[in-house]
Amino acid sequence: MTHQPIETQVIIAVTIGGMVILNAAILWFMPRLTRPDLYFAVTVPPGFPDEPDGKSILSRYRKELILVSLIALVVFVAGIALLGMRFGPVGPLIQTAAGFLAFYRARKRVLPHAVQPTMIREAELQPYTRIIPGGWIAASGPFVLLALCTGYLWIHGSSPARGIIYAVTMTVSLIGLTVLLYGLAHWVRPVYSGGPERVRELQFRRTVAAVILGAEYYLTIQSSWLLLVPPHQGLISLGLFPLALIFALVVILVLARFGQGGSRLASARKSSTASAPPVGDRTADRYWKLGVFYFNPDDSAIFIEKRFGLGYSLNFARPTTWGIMALLLIAPLVAVLAHLTQFLPKRV
Amino acid sequence: MLRIDLASRVPVYEQIANGLRAELVSGKFSPGEKLPTVRTLAINLGVHHNTVAEAYRQLANEGWLELKRHRGAIVRERDHPEAGPDTMERFTRPLRELVAKGLADGLSPSSLAREMIEAARGLEERTAP
Repeated sequence: MTHQPIETQVIIAVTIGGMVILNAAILWFMPRLTRPDLYFAVTVPPGFPDEPDGKSILSRYRKELILVSLIALVVFVAGIALLGMRFGPVGPLIQTAAGFLAFYRARKRVLPHAVQPTMIREAELQPYTRIIPGGWIAASGPFVLLALCTGYLWIHGSSPARGIIYAVTMTVSLIGLTVLLYGLAHWVRPVYSGGPERVRELQFRRTVAAVILGAEYYLTIQSSWLLLVPPHQGLISLGLFPLALIFALVVILVLARFGQGGSRLASARKSSTASAPPVGDRTADRYWKLGVFYFNPDDSAIFIEKRFGLGYSLNFARPTTWGIMALLLIAPLVAVLAHLTQFLPKRV
Repeated sequence: MLRIDLASRVPVYEQIANGLRAELVSGKFSPGEKLPTVRTLAINLGVHHNTVAEAYRQLANEGWLELKRHRGAIVRERDHPEAGPDTMERFTRPLRELVAKGLADGLSPSSLAREMIEAARGLEERTAP
């Protein structure tokens, strides 16, 4: 077993603890960040969240959330004290699972108030609107950086194995994220096809695309940095952990400012009208398994706005979705396998 | 803008074909222009791509579109067809049903007639050679 210096342990513990707190804050505000006629992933009349029943459900959800977050924090601290840093990632996992339970219970309380969303669908027949900030030139930047770094390692690197693992995992990660970018531009079903709602939706989509692009650059720079700086420059490398937390915090704040699909932008309140039946996200509740997994084989869209959360979910009934999932999972899998091979006995 | 109602009894592919035909008749698309690809339109409407493909095939059979693999649907220059003996017959039944629905919903016969004449004149002006 390897022992890490105390400052390393503190940085990792603070980062993971910060993630738990951040996660709790997101889950706390989430019911108010979704579209006004969706509440805990259920289509409701637009005013329902402000009615006594809606408020009571929210209050109960938040109490349960505080409870599970405290339990997760205690388990996290106790686990680290008793079992060491290896236990660290379990804390956020426990909280996520328990937070989902709180959401699921709240959803069950909202379901009796559900209404049928509108069955009207609209489509703009005009050509494609530009979504990716900077276009494909900006999107190719991380690949150029990766190629440069791989080239440098090829010529000057002392450990070819590390270079190969870096090149493979980063290439797969970048391809996965680029597919997400392409998907945002071409595979998203809009909720509104015209008017101010459409403008806000496009703004939101561009923001999410910028976030993915930012994540691509961030990942490439971080991985290259970790590989190029001499090993055991502990604090410099570890500084990237809190930096990841700050990046996540900024992303969340920006998306929260917009609200799901741009529904919290200033002009949204002026133009929103109480329509009957509500628009929601133009999908029936029955297609949302457990309120979070969209499964509709009759819908060609791959990316669908999340009902509880900010950004997009995938239509799990489409084969393309599983391809994307595989791409996004291969990179961490390669990294973990590469890490594990370090513990295998070496042949002499 | 194309609009469909998934709750309607009219099949979705027919609603799509009807909506697109209305756009084509009104002259919003000139010959040679491209319509969205089957996949794009299916995604935007949230329906299966086979449904949109069926609507496109129907319009292609009517001579409105030319379907090319990997190039999508292109609007064709279409001659004004001569109305055959059964043409009016094909319109009478759905028209009667539509009028009956309008009357049942409280519209007056005169307002319905006025609406139909205006719609026909509007389209006639746009499609006049």
